[in-house]
Amino acid sequence: MGVECRYEVAQAAYVKLALHALKHPTAAVNGLLVGRLLDSASPAVVSVVDAVPLSHQPHHLPLLPTLELALTLVEDHFAPQGFAVVGYYHANARRDDTDLPAVAKRVGDHIFRYFPRAAVLLLDNQKLEKVIKGDSRDPVVQLYSRDSSKSWRQAGSDGSSQLTLKEPSTNVVLADHVTTKKWQQIIDFDDHLDDISKDWLNPSLLG
Amino acid sequence: MAATTAISTATAAAEEARLLRLEEQAEHGGGGAWEYLSLARRLRARRPAPVLRLGLSLLNDASARSRLASEQWTLYEQVAVAAMDCQRVDVAKDCIGVLSKQFPGSTRVGRLEALLFEAKGDWAEAERAYALILENNPFDQIAHKRKIAIAKAQGDMSVAVDYLNKYLELFMADHDAWRELAEIYVSLQMYKQAAFCYEELILAQPTIPLYHLAYAEVLYTLGGLENLQTAKKYYASTIQLTGGKNTRALFGVCLCSAAISQLTKGRNKEEDSSELQSLAAEALLKDYKQRSPSKEALIAGMLKNMKLS
Repeated sequence: MGVECRYEVAQAAYVKLALHALKHPTAAVNGLLVGRLLDSASPAVVSVVDAVPLSHQPHHLPLLPTLELALTLVEDHFAPQGFAVVGYYHANARRDDTDLPAVAKRVGDHIFRYFPRAAVLLLDNQKLEKVIKGDSRDPVVQLYSRDSSKSWRQAGSDGSSQLTLKEPSTNVVLADHVTTKKWQQIIDFDDHLDDISKDWLNPSLLG
Repeated sequence: MAATTAISTATAAAEEARLLRLEEQAEHGGGGAWEYLSLARRLRARRPAPVLRLGLSLLNDASARSRLASEQWTLYEQVAVAAMDCQRVDVAKDCIGVLSKQFPGSTRVGRLEALLFEAKGDWAEAERAYALILENNPFDQIAHKRKIAIAKAQGDMSVAVDYLNKYLELFMADHDAWRELAEIYVSLQMYKQAAFCYEELILAQPTIPLYHLAYAEVLYTLGGLENLQTAKKYYASTIQLTGGKNTRALFGVCLCSAAISQLTKGRNKEEDSSELQSLAAEALLKDYKQRSPSKEALIAGMLKNMKLS
């Protein structure tokens, strides 16, 4: 799909994925992106409305059981609202690691089969640090999309896909949540499977 | 996460809950800082920010420190490590300084000094320091492990795997090391090798459900009929060892059954333990009804679809 496509990330999705990474500073974390294609728009726009954090435990992260369970449950939950799984996010464990890991590409490929404009977002740890200090207005994630040769390419290198933050004050809101230590409360699928009373939808997290 | 049997899993969770309660209490001026710090040390919990805060406030209080008497040195060590974790190199340096004055020539302090190099990212200096320690004591397990940690920190996974394998030749019974190796293999998507590690662990400690579960998850990921059937067995043994309380294992049985029936569609199905997956599904629904009712319908829907497929 070499057509132009814009990815619009809502505050809820963006903040949740950043908080997830902040809660587990010494581990890699990942999660699913939920949203829909706004096909009335031209060029196409994928609206990412929410993020469902998946894992933070190194011995679970790349494994299939949690992922498959989550994909089914997330799709089932959001389908009645007209949303689907539209992408995947990943944050590497090491601060200076900016490579998109194999697991991200693999999950991305899987989601692509069901949603051909799937997006993969890789958290940039150094950009996140800047935003927390109130230093930056840049998005803390790097967008990857699949090109015609089936590889995941960074957006912006050829202008065919682009990431925007839906709400302009998103980074400010994120920095605010960090000061109030909101990251302590975020729940992912790993947490849920350890204690099912914890809700991976994080319904009251962002108020 | 400590490896525990079914009974002591409850204890471990209770202890972790107690740790968090003490942390909350101490952080809000309710006292009990020393109790919290001791428990954190015993549980080897990694909570650097509160440990640093509460530990420092104790150390900076001369009368509190003198009350600790000889235990203050352990506190200095604990605070030094927490400080390094929080990138407070200055605090760590001070603590280590105090310790090296108190215990000149100590290997334990030497290890902290090497760790400080790590915290600063001075990998070469850190490696030199550990090499020195190992020269005097070639069986210093901690120094060996730090070498592996340094490789990991630099993203040198194949070096880390190499060191870890060599370490395990020396210290075959170090279960934590086997788990670490399994984890690294999983992160490299080398699932067969990860499976081997879990097999070693299950052989060594067959009643630890954690190993059965981890093995099952890797086998499921490897896929293929045989692996799925074996995975199902190990999810089942996990259920048995945890008194049916482990959610992942209960889901695992269902996932395996669904995947197996997909692969054997049209073939002669074995007189399989179809009872097992019904029981697992039932147990899951009961638990969700009780502890997570908002998700009950979602789970019920998914389980229903799995049985049909």
